[in-house]
Amino acid sequence: MYRKQVRRRRAVLALLIVGSFALLTVTYGQGSNGIQRGVSTVFSPIQSVADRALKPARDTINWFDETFDAKGRNARMHTELEAARKKAVDSQAAIAENEQLRKLVKLDESGAIPGGYDTVTGRVVYRSPTVWFSDVTIDVGSGDGVEVGDPVVNGDGLVGTVAAVTGGSARVRLIADHESAVSAKIVPGGDQGLMKPSVGNPDDLILEFLSSEKRVGKGQSVVTSGWRSQAIESSYPPNLPIGEVVEASLKEQEAQAQVHVRPFADLRDLDLVQVLTGGSRG
Amino acid sequence: MILTPNILARLVAIVVGGVILQLSLFSRVNLFDVSPDLLPSLIVVLGLLGGSLTGAVCGFSAGLLLDCLLIVPLGGGSLVLLGVGYLAGLFRERFEINSPLVPPLLCMGLTLVAELGFGAVEMMLGFDAPVSGLVVRDILLKSIFAFFGGWAIYVGVRRALRPALVDDLSIRRSGRRPTVLGA
Repeated sequence: MYRKQVRRRRAVLALLIVGSFALLTVTYGQGSNGIQRGVSTVFSPIQSVADRALKPARDTINWFDETFDAKGRNARMHTELEAARKKAVDSQAAIAENEQLRKLVKLDESGAIPGGYDTVTGRVVYRSPTVWFSDVTIDVGSGDGVEVGDPVVNGDGLVGTVAAVTGGSARVRLIADHESAVSAKIVPGGDQGLMKPSVGNPDDLILEFLSSEKRVGKGQSVVTSGWRSQAIESSYPPNLPIGEVVEASLKEQEAQAQVHVRPFADLRDLDLVQVLTGGSRG
Repeated sequence: MILTPNILARLVAIVVGGVILQLSLFSRVNLFDVSPDLLPSLIVVLGLLGGSLTGAVCGFSAGLLLDCLLIVPLGGGSLVLLGVGYLAGLFRERFEINSPLVPPLLCMGLTLVAELGFGAVEMMLGFDAPVSGLVVRDILLKSIFAFFGGWAIYVGVRRALRPALVDDLSIRRSGRRPTVLGA
């Protein structure tokens, strides 16, 4: 009797393991499938209610974390504030100069979001629990015009790209995910490279394959390069802000042609995001 | 564990509720820059209370639901969590649990295994990025959170499944007071 139970238990275990591998094999590389679309449809009202109902609890827990963090941050903020003031003054001058230049070249639009894109605003409803992949699920999907490959931004800058969609939700692969790679350039300077994450640390992105001739300095901004080459082009439109160079040692630039970048967007704490739909992606 | 339709419904509610709570609450809060992952702890507790088969099936189901809601390739989460549930159940079947510290310690250890398992699945599917040393800190803190969270989950789930627990029934019939957790 006991042996029969053990055999049955092992058979079920084997079945579940084989089932898991079969599911992985069948669904790997697909954006989304029928099962996920079905589950997503069933759970979307629940996720919406849970998201709103649990917001006070999330805020309370985050408040504790922020209180611990605030003390250390205070001193750093003072230093950053001084730097920001200086930058603000510089920016005012640059804006004034830019306005004159724009009048000269008759540019009719400005801003980070290029023309030809529509924006769809979504709210983050789920976040992956493991450190190994950085994905969030948002509450807008193909029903709202969102497509796979659409860039996603928030008020601070680039957040990621849409990796899979269902009718009412979409998975956003954050720029800190190990599968993410964004073609980017340094401004000013225009040196181009490929932005890769450092898995486990969403505050540290690595801009690699830089030209070894140009020197990149700490504090320089990084934006999407939005390259185009005949039939193919980047998923991201040009000049979307990504982050700021925080570490640019000469040794690392010469030996590995790379610098470290901190993203403008706080990838640990995302709430509202905008999906850039349409555009001229090939 | 005595599986009646009522208990089955409770198990489904616990698994679904656990996944929703993990994705909507725990994954989206930061404690010392780390989001707690209490789903492996829930599966460990179900394995400890229900045995290896219950643990494996609950782990598989929770993983499948997790993968569906995150719109990632199906099977990865199931594989990891079914392993965790099975191991927890096997532990209960092989060893005597005579200390209240055993369930939280098991939650902590198996959360560590689960996080490494998630990493292994990602590596298996293709991984082309440098890994920061902070991953180690992240995994260790997640395991510590699992120790504290696991204890609360154990108490809550045990209460919810009390009518189905064979040991509890015999204790109540004999009139003895339970002296240890998880006995």
